[in-house]
Amino acid sequence: MSSSIRTEVRRGDALYPAQLLRLERPPEVLYCIGDPSLLVPGLAVVGSRRQTPYGSQCCALLAGWASRHGVAIISGAAVGCDQSAHRAALESGGRTVAVLGCGADVDYPPSARGLLEDLRQDHLVVSELPWGTPPARWTFPERNRIIAGLAAALLVVEASVPSGTFSTADHALQAGTEVLAVPGSILSPQSRGTNQLIRDGASVIADLDDLAVCLARCGLLSTAEQDVQTHARDPSTDAERALAAGPMLLEDLAAHLGVPVQEAAHAVARLELEGAVRRGMDGRYAFVAGLGGR
Amino acid sequence: MQATVMTATLHGVEAMPVEVQADVANGLPSFTIVGLPDAALQESRDRVRSALRAAGYEFPSCRVLVNLAPALLRKHGTGFDLPIALAVLTATRQLPEERIEGTVVVGELGLDGSVRPVHGLLAFALAARRFGMSLLGPHELADAADAAGGVSCRPLAHLREITAEAGGRPPQKRAPARSPVRVPDLADVAGQPTARRALEIAAAGGHNLLMVGPPGSGKTMLAQRMPGILPPLTSDERLETALVYSVSGLDERTILEGVRPFRSPHHSCSIAGLVGGGSPVRPGEMSLAHNGVLYLDEIPQFAPSALQALRGPMEEGTVALVRAEGRFVFPARFTLIASMNPCPCGFAGDRQRPCSCTGPTIARYMARIGGPLFDRMDLVVRVDRPDPSAIVAIDRGEPTAEVRERVIAARQHAHATRGCLSSRLSGAALLDACQLDHGASRLLEQAARVHHLSGRGITRALRTARTIADLQAAERVSEEHLLEALSFRLQETA
Repeated sequence: MSSSIRTEVRRGDALYPAQLLRLERPPEVLYCIGDPSLLVPGLAVVGSRRQTPYGSQCCALLAGWASRHGVAIISGAAVGCDQSAHRAALESGGRTVAVLGCGADVDYPPSARGLLEDLRQDHLVVSELPWGTPPARWTFPERNRIIAGLAAALLVVEASVPSGTFSTADHALQAGTEVLAVPGSILSPQSRGTNQLIRDGASVIADLDDLAVCLARCGLLSTAEQDVQTHARDPSTDAERALAAGPMLLEDLAAHLGVPVQEAAHAVARLELEGAVRRGMDGRYAFVAGLGGR
Repeated sequence: MQATVMTATLHGVEAMPVEVQADVANGLPSFTIVGLPDAALQESRDRVRSALRAAGYEFPSCRVLVNLAPALLRKHGTGFDLPIALAVLTATRQLPEERIEGTVVVGELGLDGSVRPVHGLLAFALAARRFGMSLLGPHELADAADAAGGVSCRPLAHLREITAEAGGRPPQKRAPARSPVRVPDLADVAGQPTARRALEIAAAGGHNLLMVGPPGSGKTMLAQRMPGILPPLTSDERLETALVYSVSGLDERTILEGVRPFRSPHHSCSIAGLVGGGSPVRPGEMSLAHNGVLYLDEIPQFAPSALQALRGPMEEGTVALVRAEGRFVFPARFTLIASMNPCPCGFAGDRQRPCSCTGPTIARYMARIGGPLFDRMDLVVRVDRPDPSAIVAIDRGEPTAEVRERVIAARQHAHATRGCLSSRLSGAALLDACQLDHGASRLLEQAARVHHLSGRGITRALRTARTIADLQAAERVSEEHLLEALSFRLQETA
């Protein structure tokens, strides 16, 4: 295992990933920090920077499961979904690759500093931009193209339209990478993009079985490994069922259940403690399938 | 010939005794004031000269020297006009000395000899009571003397009345031509069950409250109704708060009627405006909110330094300022209600409008008011724009009077069982007061783990839970109380 070693992998080198050649403009040089042997086909997990509790939970569930089954998780270290995916891979003891829109030695976004340090130590941070290049507006769509190129399959967890995540899906289609999408509420702006991808032909990931089948089809998983475990918790109370359909404000939940707000507050506070429900940044409560905390 | 008249000068909220000594002697005509007078006091010479003439007295055409003792104390304001005039009259034998013996004199003079009020009359009345003296001054001083109690006052409308026979003319009462105080009623608030509940708990336990919600959700409307649901001021509290109002030159009559103050300074307010300061040193908004509510709307817009200056006084209940003129202590025991938007654009979580902010910008926005101040907010409540149908609906919310009854009952329960409100409890005393049963302690441990509660966070949850129990007159804090308290936490920002 390497630690923070810098490598420049050129087109034609043995380590240069063949799958990148499917891109219209494959990068000439890949600037890597970490273990360059991780430049193998993997599962790219991308999604909205403005992720909902639903998005972060799906990320943890799906990226975590794939990672436990030996699939490298590729993402962009961006705030929100990307970081959730990297963290899920780290927590499940898998391997993960961050593709940056700046030099591989630059900490961007600043909130990812600690995460990137970890990745440079034991995993891989890669960029086509020379050392020290600062991030710029146009570098991110280019970065998205490399994510799409490196991966054997692209999993879109949440995306609004139009968005950077959506552009990654476009690159994936051009490169012939299979696109998988997590369906979401038709009322949630963060799921509009994924629902649209599904309408346009992306594979639906409605449970772990779906993911296993798709990963096997892309050659990331041998069929023998498909021992799928079910969710830790299904919604059992009325409150959970209501919140599972979409995040809600406390007062709306109380109105839906037809109980006083205080009673709904008690129920939700208890579910929060059980880890079944979480309050998002916008103050809404969401059902998070009892998979545990953040 | 010499004469001495007692008066006082304001030092913070206290009136310090000052002797006005006049010496009229032969020499070239002149009129000098010594003893650290400020600019307004220097101008007093011209007012006194004209007022005396207008009232039909003679201003001596010789050397007039006025000294303000103690000479080292800096003196401010125009309240010295009347004492100086009376000292000159006594020194020139135009006024018998007995008229002003044992009397604290204060008042400004108009050029026509009329006697006018000055700031801080209540402080003068309290000082006179302290010295065991009577009062002489404008009619407003008589009101202040009534409020202070135990001190007599002879009101003057015009300077010439001083030589009229004492008690010759009955003092005219000022017409109380004011409608009874109207405090906004909670019945006007449609819906908002959670916010109402938070307001009730905050009032019952004296907790600080932070309201988070999009613009137009009614945060200010709710805050304005807080004084109404608090019990009326006790007689001691009335005097304390009215005194701050009086020395600030504000109308203290509503306070004296028992209505708790509600102060909502604009977010451009300076530190001095918030905690007190200036020259002469005046109390700030924090002290004006003493025994009442300080409402900081859009709290992230306030200068961080001003917010940090709130912290110490919030713990101690007083503000101590040290200036060149000395040390000033102002009372500042208030309930803080703050409001903010959930994100920079204001619409995170709104039912109708989408939010355009990203996670990090929201986290930065929330971080702006700083952890230490957040730590002093026992309750955080989400306030949302009500459904339009709720506003139009005819059924109004529960009126203030009903909520206030519950608040008063809860406060009585708190005082009867442990002698103080739960917002003043901490540490072992707080745990003792809560008497958590096994289930509740386990729940609290679980909450601390799941929500990453700090020691302060646990304290806040327990205080709130204790007040919720008080509202039910419950002896012990149960799981239900604790669960509700936990729902008034700050939303996650990660």
